[in-house]
Amino acid sequence: MNKRTSMEIFKSVVLALFLREVQTRFGTKKLGYFWAVFDAMFMVLIFAGLKSLISSKSMPGLDFHVFLATSFLAFFLWKNIVNQSMSAFSANKALFAYKQVKPFDTVVTRVLLELLVSSVATSIFVLIGLYLGLDISVENFNMVMLAVIWLVVFGFAIGLMTAVFSYFYEFYAKVMKIVMIFLFWTSALMFTVDSLPPLAREIVLYNPLVHFIEMIHGYYFHALSTYYVDYEYMLYWTLIPLWIGLFFYQRSEKRILSS
Amino acid sequence: MIELHNVTKYFKTSSGKKYILNNVTMTIPSDVNVGLLGRNGAGKSTLLRMLGGIDFPNSGIITSPNSFSWPMGLAGGFQGSMTGRQNVKFVCRIYGKSDYEIERSIEAVKEFAEIGDYFDMPIKTYSSGMKSRLSFGLSLVFDFDYLIIDETLSVGDKNFQEKSKKALRKKIENCNVLLVSHSMPILREICDVGIVVHQGQIYYCDTIEEAIETYNNINK
Repeated sequence: MNKRTSMEIFKSVVLALFLREVQTRFGTKKLGYFWAVFDAMFMVLIFAGLKSLISSKSMPGLDFHVFLATSFLAFFLWKNIVNQSMSAFSANKALFAYKQVKPFDTVVTRVLLELLVSSVATSIFVLIGLYLGLDISVENFNMVMLAVIWLVVFGFAIGLMTAVFSYFYEFYAKVMKIVMIFLFWTSALMFTVDSLPPLAREIVLYNPLVHFIEMIHGYYFHALSTYYVDYEYMLYWTLIPLWIGLFFYQRSEKRILSS
Repeated sequence: MIELHNVTKYFKTSSGKKYILNNVTMTIPSDVNVGLLGRNGAGKSTLLRMLGGIDFPNSGIITSPNSFSWPMGLAGGFQGSMTGRQNVKFVCRIYGKSDYEIERSIEAVKEFAEIGDYFDMPIKTYSSGMKSRLSFGLSLVFDFDYLIIDETLSVGDKNFQEKSKKALRKKIENCNVLLVSHSMPILREICDVGIVVHQGQIYYCDTIEEAIETYNNINK
């Protein structure tokens, strides 16, 4: 058989895994695309409804629905990357019978897949926004994209780390589930950091996701700023988990394969 | 050619380490078909997995300039939720086949496996015989130097067994096999040399007859 470089093998494996995941996730019966959009849509409607019940004054200079849509699309992208990475090894275990398929490839595949799902969901949101005549104009498109890409890398880092740890310690996966609920309420999804009282502001800024969401909001809406975004803090939260994830992955790859 | 240098492999059990291979050094020469014998749990399958590159020794190295198939076993290497066709496509893709080659491979596997409509059903609905048919048929569309076969020749009905053996005989004109089997007739028919795995040691025998004899002595 002809020899291929490891990069060629990696690419063909990720492509094969990707096509396989698309087939199983979005098979005819599973309504995969529907759920991808519905998740975020549901949250937007609920929180927009709640907000209008509690107080009539909305955020000046922006449409609260659009604000919520950007929040939840970004949050679900990150959350799904982490959750899907976490179960990537066990879901593809049977395929480790082929030596070309490494556990790492399954995580990369799932990150790419979530990116596709999120892109589809975002496109549908944009179409709905245009149809309803909402103001969905972006202040700085390039910086929003940078924030999203950074968010994906952050998700990959946490996802890989979580995948390795949760494969050996089931406890870790359970902790992550609770952390996710906590993050849902504290990641500046349905409020801005600026609107919080000073003490709450200080506490909430320890959550790294807040910085990502604020960065997206700040560059998306003319009315909001990126004043509270700490880029250095975001960098630490990306590079350290990435290092930990890669370090423990390469140490335990053989154990994952042969277990 | 396959070389093992000081290879040690063990599993940790509640009563300590259970050795599959204990500091084994040996060379399996080129161009021979190898039969592996040993009791259940002696480590034949683990050895095959290590040769196939999906399990690893605790120490020592296994080297070979040749290419190996995946270990074809009863359990399979198939994703249960995917259909037979999807699994065949998947394997062709990871081996870097082009779309045209994939189509041709699918036809070849479908024809060989003779599982009819099940080819487009999820693997989890398959019997173990059907899985083996698919796995073996799939391996035939690649050009490996070594085919790694774990017990799969003895499944299926008489008709299919004959067909498999015929296909294998044709295949081994161009490649070699590493075969685990408890069926002495099959071993005698296909293999040239034998390896007996027993209590952490490997006994290499220059003829399959000798290996069968060694194996029978162990079982006394």
